[in-house]
Amino acid sequence: MTRTIAKFATVSALALSVALGAGAAQAKEFLLGSELPLTGSLARVGQGMHEGIAVAIEMANKSYAGKHSFKVQTIDDETSPAKGVAAVEKLAGDGVVAITGGYGSNIIGPASEAAQKAGLVYITSGGVSPELTQRGYPTFFRINNTDGYALAMIGLIQEMGAKKVSIVYLNKDATSSLAKQVNTALTGKSITVGMHEFDGSTSDFKPLMNKVKLQDRPDVIAMVGYENDYVGILRAAKVLKPQVKAVVGVWSLATAQMAKEFPDLMENVYGTSMLPYPVEFTQPEAVEFAATYKKLFNKDPDYLGQFGYVQTRLLIDAVVRADEAGTLGKGGLPEELRKTDANTLIGRVTFDKNGDNLNFTHRMGQHQGGKVVLVWPSDAANGKMNFPAVPW
Amino acid sequence: MTKTLMNRIVLTAALAIAYVGVPLLLGGNAYVLGLIVAALTIAGVAVAWALLGNLGGMVSFGHAAFFGVGSYTSAVLAMKLGVPVFAAMLLGGVGAAVSSIAMLPALRLRGPYFALAILAYAHIFQILATEMTAVTGGAGGLLSIPRFPTLLGFEFGEKLGGYLIVLTIVVLAAFAYDAIRRSTWGLALKAMHDTEVATRVVGVPSTHLKAAMLVLSAFITGVVGAFNAHFISFLDPDYAFSSGWTVLPIAAAIFGGYRTVWGPVVGALAIYLVDQLLFKPILPHGHQMILGVLLCAMILFSPGGLMPALRRRPVKENRHAHA
Repeated sequence: MTRTIAKFATVSALALSVALGAGAAQAKEFLLGSELPLTGSLARVGQGMHEGIAVAIEMANKSYAGKHSFKVQTIDDETSPAKGVAAVEKLAGDGVVAITGGYGSNIIGPASEAAQKAGLVYITSGGVSPELTQRGYPTFFRINNTDGYALAMIGLIQEMGAKKVSIVYLNKDATSSLAKQVNTALTGKSITVGMHEFDGSTSDFKPLMNKVKLQDRPDVIAMVGYENDYVGILRAAKVLKPQVKAVVGVWSLATAQMAKEFPDLMENVYGTSMLPYPVEFTQPEAVEFAATYKKLFNKDPDYLGQFGYVQTRLLIDAVVRADEAGTLGKGGLPEELRKTDANTLIGRVTFDKNGDNLNFTHRMGQHQGGKVVLVWPSDAANGKMNFPAVPW
Repeated sequence: MTKTLMNRIVLTAALAIAYVGVPLLLGGNAYVLGLIVAALTIAGVAVAWALLGNLGGMVSFGHAAFFGVGSYTSAVLAMKLGVPVFAAMLLGGVGAAVSSIAMLPALRLRGPYFALAILAYAHIFQILATEMTAVTGGAGGLLSIPRFPTLLGFEFGEKLGGYLIVLTIVVLAAFAYDAIRRSTWGLALKAMHDTEVATRVVGVPSTHLKAAMLVLSAFITGVVGAFNAHFISFLDPDYAFSSGWTVLPIAAAIFGGYRTVWGPVVGALAIYLVDQLLFKPILPHGHQMILGVLLCAMILFSPGGLMPALRRRPVKENRHAHA
């Protein structure tokens, strides 16, 4: 009897180990590639996206535990187009299934072209230039675009009831096309607009601000640039104190970092933001995202991390779907990603034939007492806007 | 075996490896081939810079201007006027040479004053490229620049084609540099280095010779810039006129030995490939630091660069052998 039980136990153990072994054989490890600027002039924004990608990998490994696992191989493109191309080629040679990352339209352009040649999906949130999607590459996808930023800025300015607006903008591709889009839309709504272009090397904005103050006399100053530009413009405005009702900007402005580093300049200033600060999440996925971010990086997530997370999570889900359909190794990933229709942390995401997410609309936040309060649109707002109000 | 014969054998072997060995061994490795193309692009500018510095006696901090003008000229001609890409590339060099004429007044300056003046010129050209929006696309730049065509069934638009094109540009530039150095012009330029006043007294048109070196250096840099535009298929003013197109070639030329013909080429290949293939995987976020230390060490221990250091070693060994 004892011998029979022992035999039965041995056979059962063998059967169990075979079953477990078979299960383990079915589970797959997917290697994703990431090409990002981690050094050079775009290092800060590249690092932000990199953190979001890491959170997506961590969360996917948790949710697909026992079925699949995911890894990411990251290469620093050193904020250089040529090194971006080299990074994509290296990742393709190392057998990644797709690429997530990229920052700056000038780097994403050639890097995504290299991915297209290698037959790899390239998904990003770091390049809003319209030309990127106009190329019609079947492997190129992005979750945000200029239209979404422009719609948010236009919507807020309209809600303020402004009659005259001065747009102060950097002469780069993304910034000037956004400024022109806002100009066209506001002019079409009978709002008088003054356009003021500046160069990236501008450090003293007082002459420009004086022109705005004395010539335009606007209700609202709209800034389209990057962090250093905003700081320069606001410093000049604080000295000259133009009689305006609001100062509105776009990306990289309504962030926790700006609130902490420039509290005297940021008060009452508006900028695009998907998240309030301190972060308030209610959706289960968003709560888990914030908790994982905190666990990995010991800080609250910002919008860069959020975008990096969303693009990577959508990619991972499409990889799993393509694998289940048996098309992953046969070039089926772009088609599977194009079928995406998901409610994400940045809203609904679907892709058109050029890989653009036409649903993308940003939200507007306002710096209020060291916090960033979402004030537009009303259904996403978690507070009221201070209006009229300026930092000085 | 004479030194000249030995040099010729080494050069022939190096060219055979470059034209036959590399395509056979690395033709299928787009990543490594891409890095070699990037290194040769820097090498092309480094040769042009060394030519101006060594023969013309002028230290330039503004070669990015020629690179940018060459790349924009070629890209605009190919995109907007439909000029064939190879012809546009050569015209890119002509464009850069023409732009260098604007810099001729700076030839009256010497040393750091010339270097600063040419740096200012580079900035002016960058502003022009940004402001001439209708032609250059402004700050947004130009995307989807036509690539090199397929000729006789060979795809020059692919990695291997690009490699062969840039390799040929660099080899021709180095041969031109060598030919001038050996000519009577080279002799006059060498004499000019020692004492410009004395050479003028004996009838050497020193300003004309310096101008000719500047135009030739600009032409080579412009062709390399044009090649890069069609190879990367993208341009914007910040990229085309980036100070990196001046700093890296200078570092490469000094590392390899800017007083030799092939030193800048060896230097560019060494610093770029060693940095990207060796240092970057070990230290992803600080690999440039190692390169900086290496460059400092080279300047301290072998001011003449890598090529003279390599040449010195066998001589030492012979001495020991005789002893």
